[in-house]
Amino acid sequence: MNFAQQALNGLILGHAFALIAIGWTVLLGTAKLVNFAHGQMYMIGAFVAWFVMAAWGLPYLIAVPAAMLAGVIIGWIMQATLLRLTIKQDLVSIMIVTLGFGHLLEGVAGLSFGSTGQILDTPLSLLDIYIGDLWITWQDVAIVIVTIVVFIALKLVLERSRLGRLVRMVAEDPKLAQLAGVDVRRVYLGVFAFEGAAVALAAAVVAPRTPILTSMGFQEVIITFVVVVLGGIGSVTGSYLAGLGLGFFTAFFGAYVSQAYATAAMFGVLIVVLALRPGGLAARAGGR
Amino acid sequence: MSAPVLEADGLEVRYGGNLALSVEHLSIAQGELVGVIGANGAGKSTLVNALAGWSRGEPKASGTVRLDGRDVSGLRTPDRVKAGLLLIPESRLIFATLSVDENLAHAAHPRHAQGRRSYSTDEIFDLFPNLASRRGHLGGQLSGGERQMLGIARALRLAPRALMLDEPSIGLAPRLVSTVLETIRALVDDGLTVLLVEQNVKATIPVVDRLVLLERGRILAQGPTAQMQDDPRIAEAYLGGGAP
Repeated sequence: MNFAQQALNGLILGHAFALIAIGWTVLLGTAKLVNFAHGQMYMIGAFVAWFVMAAWGLPYLIAVPAAMLAGVIIGWIMQATLLRLTIKQDLVSIMIVTLGFGHLLEGVAGLSFGSTGQILDTPLSLLDIYIGDLWITWQDVAIVIVTIVVFIALKLVLERSRLGRLVRMVAEDPKLAQLAGVDVRRVYLGVFAFEGAAVALAAAVVAPRTPILTSMGFQEVIITFVVVVLGGIGSVTGSYLAGLGLGFFTAFFGAYVSQAYATAAMFGVLIVVLALRPGGLAARAGGR
Repeated sequence: MSAPVLEADGLEVRYGGNLALSVEHLSIAQGELVGVIGANGAGKSTLVNALAGWSRGEPKASGTVRLDGRDVSGLRTPDRVKAGLLLIPESRLIFATLSVDENLAHAAHPRHAQGRRSYSTDEIFDLFPNLASRRGHLGGQLSGGERQMLGIARALRLAPRALMLDEPSIGLAPRLVSTVLETIRALVDDGLTVLLVEQNVKATIPVVDRLVLLERGRILAQGPTAQMQDDPRIAEAYLGGGAP
């Protein structure tokens, strides 16, 4: 029974991890960029959703796109600031600047939303589902469904659409893409905006599971980092599988060993997998 | 001679403080195939990269580049491409992770290519039958010759007004070199304007209308092929002491 509940928890947690990481997967696969403000962008997404509902009294279905819009704006501003470094692929500077952005976002969020923890209650998070002794909420169901829909949509866009082809062209060779008439800067801006929207969507859907704090974000960056690297940098399918695997691992490790050492154990898994399979689970260029 | 399609005036490129290219004037007429020859480091690639506004590093280019009389010097590379000025760079021809079909799916937008000829995929496969049987293959699975063909085909889909090719014969077997150069000649006979950078002077001479000899970043001589191949500087340095 406890095993089945943990398996269910792992399934939900895995989808949550994959959804949190998807923006970074595309960012890294396409623009070869890292964004260490990813966790704080998640935090901002959660607080914007909370604020829209708690302060303005608007419904959850408005709060989700509002959070995503905030993510798009932050992502766009960040990339517009980083554009020169991006074109030069100056990764060390990008790392430092995004870390700085993260702290800036945390400060702005502290000033705007205060330092008190909040609960992002949604109509779905308050509705329980019991299957025998197993318990989940409709919010958990939403996490799984939204994640699957986002991953399928992303794969279809990347592999079947003109936009996806442009993104893959830039991912493979940005200089050659310029000679094909592709405006690489716009693609980079678009990818960063997508990352902002995706992580904010993840926040609006996943954050109701736990209290939200303006100081949160570190854990999400670590999870994202592990999922993206395990999945094979830039691989959408790999990220999904890695997120799922990590979710099961975290649920069972937390239940049967210790919750306190789950993050350390995650890195243990990362090291072992990379030692056995250096490219990750499904490395493939172009964010697919 | 018909009106120039591609012109450059006072074109200079500097790497750091060093002058790598200085071209006072270069002009290519409609339907002309001009070959640019010169030793390694003469500035041939620098010339076409500067015309396309494209480089791997950040050299500073100055001067004027005109396409059909329109000054395109202020345009970034993608906008020059949209205007019809295309470059197929050396050894960097195709997207290896995209299929042949996907490489060819990227075509000029009709709004940008008004009045220019954009080759349909059917025309492309008539021109390059080998590619027709490889449509589903990834670019990275093609042979050197097929990659070169796909590189040219990719450019044709973008409705070039002027096409620049940087060393298309590099790494190809001699038989394929003549096939590639003859294909380029056929495209020019069909109305395309081409600037061809080549080190293989012997193979280039039979197909080009005009030759430009570059040395240390400057145009040393230029003129009709028949006249230029008798120039002792070309005959001795590139043709083994005599005309072909």
